[in-house]
Amino acid sequence: MAVSLTNVWKTYGEGPTAVHALAGIDADIPSGDFTVILGPSGSGKTTLLNLIGGIDDVTSGDLVVEDEKLTGLGTDERTAFRRNQVGFVFQFFNLIPTLTATENVELVANLTMHDGSERAIEVLKQVGLGDRLDHFPAMLSGGEQQRVAIARALAKSPPVLLCDEPTGELDFETGRLILGLLRRLNREQGQTVLLVTHNAAIGEMADRVVRLRSGEIVEDRRIADPIEAGELIW
Amino acid sequence: MSPLRHKLLRDIRTQRAQFTAVIVTIFLGVTMFAASYDSYQNLSTSYESTFTEFRFANLTVAGGDVTGFADTAAGRSGVESIELRTVADVPMQVGGLKLLGRVVGLPAETQPSVNQVRVASGRYLSSAQPTGVLVEEHMADHFELTPGSSFEILGPSGWQTVTTSGTASSPEYIWPARDRQELLTTPDNFGVAFVPEPLARQLAGTSTPNEAIVYFSGGADNEALANLLLTEAADSGATVSFTRDEQPSNAALSEDLKGFEELAVFFPMLFLTAAALATYVMISRLVHAQQPHIGVLLANGFTRRQVLAHYLGYGVVPGLVGALPGAVAGVLMARIITGFYTSMLSVPVTLVQFYPATLVAGVAFGLITSVLAVIAPARSASRLAPAEAMRGTVPAGGGRPSIPERIAPPLRRLPIPWRMALRGIERNPRRTVFTVLGVVLSLTLVLVSWGMLDTIVNLMDRQFVEIQQEDATVYFTGPVESGDVADLGQLPGIAEAEPVLQAPVVLTSGERYETALVVYETDTTMHRFFGEDGERSLPTEGILVGQAVGGLLDIAEGDVVALTAAGATIEVPIAGFVNEPLGTMAYVSRSYLEQATGFDLPATSALIRYTEGSDLASVRAALVERESVAAFEDANALYDTVQRYMILFYVFVGVMLVFGGAMAFALIFSAMSVNIAERTREVATLLAVGTERRQISRMITAENMMVALVGIPLGLGAGYLAAKQAMASFNSDLFAFDLYIRPSTLVISGLAILVVALLSQWPGLRAIGRLEIAKIVKERSL
Ligand SMILES: Nc1ncnc2c1ncn2[C@@H]1O[C@H](COP(=O)(O)OP(=O)(O)OP(=O)(O)O)[C@@H](O)[C@H]1O
Ligand SMILES: [Mg+2]
Repeated sequence: MAVSLTNVWKTYGEGPTAVHALAGIDADIPSGDFTVILGPSGSGKTTLLNLIGGIDDVTSGDLVVEDEKLTGLGTDERTAFRRNQVGFVFQFFNLIPTLTATENVELVANLTMHDGSERAIEVLKQVGLGDRLDHFPAMLSGGEQQRVAIARALAKSPPVLLCDEPTGELDFETGRLILGLLRRLNREQGQTVLLVTHNAAIGEMADRVVRLRSGEIVEDRRIADPIEAGELIW
Repeated sequence: MSPLRHKLLRDIRTQRAQFTAVIVTIFLGVTMFAASYDSYQNLSTSYESTFTEFRFANLTVAGGDVTGFADTAAGRSGVESIELRTVADVPMQVGGLKLLGRVVGLPAETQPSVNQVRVASGRYLSSAQPTGVLVEEHMADHFELTPGSSFEILGPSGWQTVTTSGTASSPEYIWPARDRQELLTTPDNFGVAFVPEPLARQLAGTSTPNEAIVYFSGGADNEALANLLLTEAADSGATVSFTRDEQPSNAALSEDLKGFEELAVFFPMLFLTAAALATYVMISRLVHAQQPHIGVLLANGFTRRQVLAHYLGYGVVPGLVGALPGAVAGVLMARIITGFYTSMLSVPVTLVQFYPATLVAGVAFGLITSVLAVIAPARSASRLAPAEAMRGTVPAGGGRPSIPERIAPPLRRLPIPWRMALRGIERNPRRTVFTVLGVVLSLTLVLVSWGMLDTIVNLMDRQFVEIQQEDATVYFTGPVESGDVADLGQLPGIAEAEPVLQAPVVLTSGERYETALVVYETDTTMHRFFGEDGERSLPTEGILVGQAVGGLLDIAEGDVVALTAAGATIEVPIAGFVNEPLGTMAYVSRSYLEQATGFDLPATSALIRYTEGSDLASVRAALVERESVAAFEDANALYDTVQRYMILFYVFVGVMLVFGGAMAFALIFSAMSVNIAERTREVATLLAVGTERRQISRMITAENMMVALVGIPLGLGAGYLAAKQAMASFNSDLFAFDLYIRPSTLVISGLAILVVALLSQWPGLRAIGRLEIAKIVKERSL
């Protein structure tokens, strides 16, 4: 199992103003699955992804990612976990504006290898940005920036790739391109992909769709015959 | 290079204006530290080695039975050598000019065992030349006396011609002070000639020496021995006795040096504090702006230590870039300052050394300052929760109207940009506080040096314009009858002449204090007296003393003190205290003192007032022609000399003011430009919704200027306090430096800050003018 959640709760604040962002989540996600997490705004999608990525702590419950039990992990172990097990793609690309595309990727690649620059160029080529290596973020289109962000997440070859609204900021065409890229990487390299979106149509390309509402799973369904990203329509 | 290092350097390049400001501040702080500290070290080692090399007396005792004193003292353990000599203040005539000079007896052929001289040109005294003398360098320079030139000295038997056998400097006269009451002399009125002891006695009209000088073992300080000998000196009837620390020249130098040391610490501290705060503000804002990136780094598995180290780099780089050249520049500057200083005075030994410690300390200070400044923001960066870091922060205060608007509702009718400015101030407490801090620091930097300048200018003005009213002073060769002084008033060009008697006295009230008693006419128009409660006249009974004496002797108005002069002691009441910047004298009216002593008192000098449009040269000529006149001193000339002595201070403080001004500019500029740069997104959004660029500029300017206005009164207060602190460190019984800042200084510096703040808007606003909305909105990486 790549990810295994048992009665996971996440509560923000205390007393009467407490918000239960996640209220008793149970789920098992096998390795190599392409899972789409759907849900309306505020339903807890980002929260769930952050927990799995180890950048936030569960309030209660058990969370195991890649055989690592995240609850009760120390700071250093948690950092090592993030470094080795997961890659993040954010809705806001969060590229560092003063670094070129290659440098943004290399920054993260260096965490797991001695000289990450070759790896950075390799993954940027994989996402089709071989001709934009030395461009600064401001010189790239939104889709190109998102592809740099994906390359950055892939640089460490993490077993689990977490994508939060990777297409939310993009137009339809570019969005499909990015999704196709993610699916291709998932197929070619066997990465477990968790993709958060509020766009239900995207669910059709996944192996599995999990729907959240008010912090609870209201639907968990396997897609027998996922379509190609290029065939998506919304 | 690693990408993070690229990021560091590019961030610095992107914010180069702010970083340059910080680097310049650190550079200036370190330069100032290294320059003043090395100068201080160079000067003190120069003095120290002068003192040991020339066996500078640890104790000087004059008057009374000095031979008896010397005999006893010679037996004391810890006393290495004692010399007996004759010192006399005598009129001298060089060319057409008369001055009240001083002859100091030296053994012919060999240097004395205490207070040796350094022969700068010519030869030391020789018994073959009983009228050959060594002229002290200040005098030699002023009158261009070289070996072979001759001048005249007045002795009991008339004017006697002496020949310059050489010029010399002495540890006793590095600073040419006549005595502790007359630290500032003009070469027109004071000069020292070292003469063979027999000639000194002959000129002084005595057959026995009148001064004993004592050198302790190794020249080392020995307080117990000094105290013992001082008591014995008092018992032997000494009128003047002082330790090495109290020796007039050395006391003046120490004051000066102490000033240097204070400045060597105070100003760099001030500047480095400013640099630290500027760095802190800048990096705090940078970390704040980069929260999302920090989130990304942490989410990707960067360790907190890596993040910490990265942001510490924002302190290390400017710290090193500023401190390294700063330390080198400072050390080089110290050489120039030391050379300038020792050549202005006559320091027999000038030691300019390279002190690696200063260099290291300078770099360390600069580096430590900037690293300390970024520790807090760097730590907060490393402690961010990654999930929240990426979410960004909520502005304070929500959507409510600002406090001023709530207090004064009519403010709500202000045009939108003003209201937005008012709200902006409150919603960004961080920005507001940091900007106010920048203004406060800037004003402090400027006011400290400007306040010092104002104080000194004011002090000079008080002494030479308000207090001293005479146009010139005439010194007599010996005591004259006060009636004779009136005759001077008859001379052409002179409107008035008043007799003055000045004599060394000891005031005793538990403690002893040696000073000069000045006897004026009861209704003198030549000197004005200012006490706590404003101007007062000379009391008809009792004496006036300087405020510092009140503290030293622990006496109050109405207390009776013992006044000892010329071996006799009378009891006099303290009629009040005067607040005079220079010197701590005692004043008394002639009629009271004559009545109290039962004597008709003579005059030792006369104070002169010129008639309108009189010719200075002919007045001087008419006066010095008279037999009884030993010297003539024009008040303006003295004022000029004093100003010349102050030049180092003026230069130093002037440089500080320029540095302070530059730093103030840097601080305000960086605060303002960060204020604007921080708002790029906000501005882009406003532009995107159709707000006019002009309106945005006006809104931002209004907000910034309002914040600056808030900072100004705080800054004026802080600056005043800091200046007071700086000035207080210079006070002693000889100088009273009460801080005085002209109101115009406060107004001008406040306005200057506003103008700088306004000008600092320009680059930022210009950037707004060129802002490509499309690019900003697209750059979601921000
Ligand atoms: N730091 C926080 N403090 C308090 N409440 C929070 C915090 N972070 C998230 N929440 C709340 O938790 C709930 C879930 O938030 P989350 O960001 O996971 O939603 P989401 O499903 O990603 O929504 P969206 O599609 O709008 O991004 C929301 O109601 C949100 O208000
Ligand atoms: Mg979300």
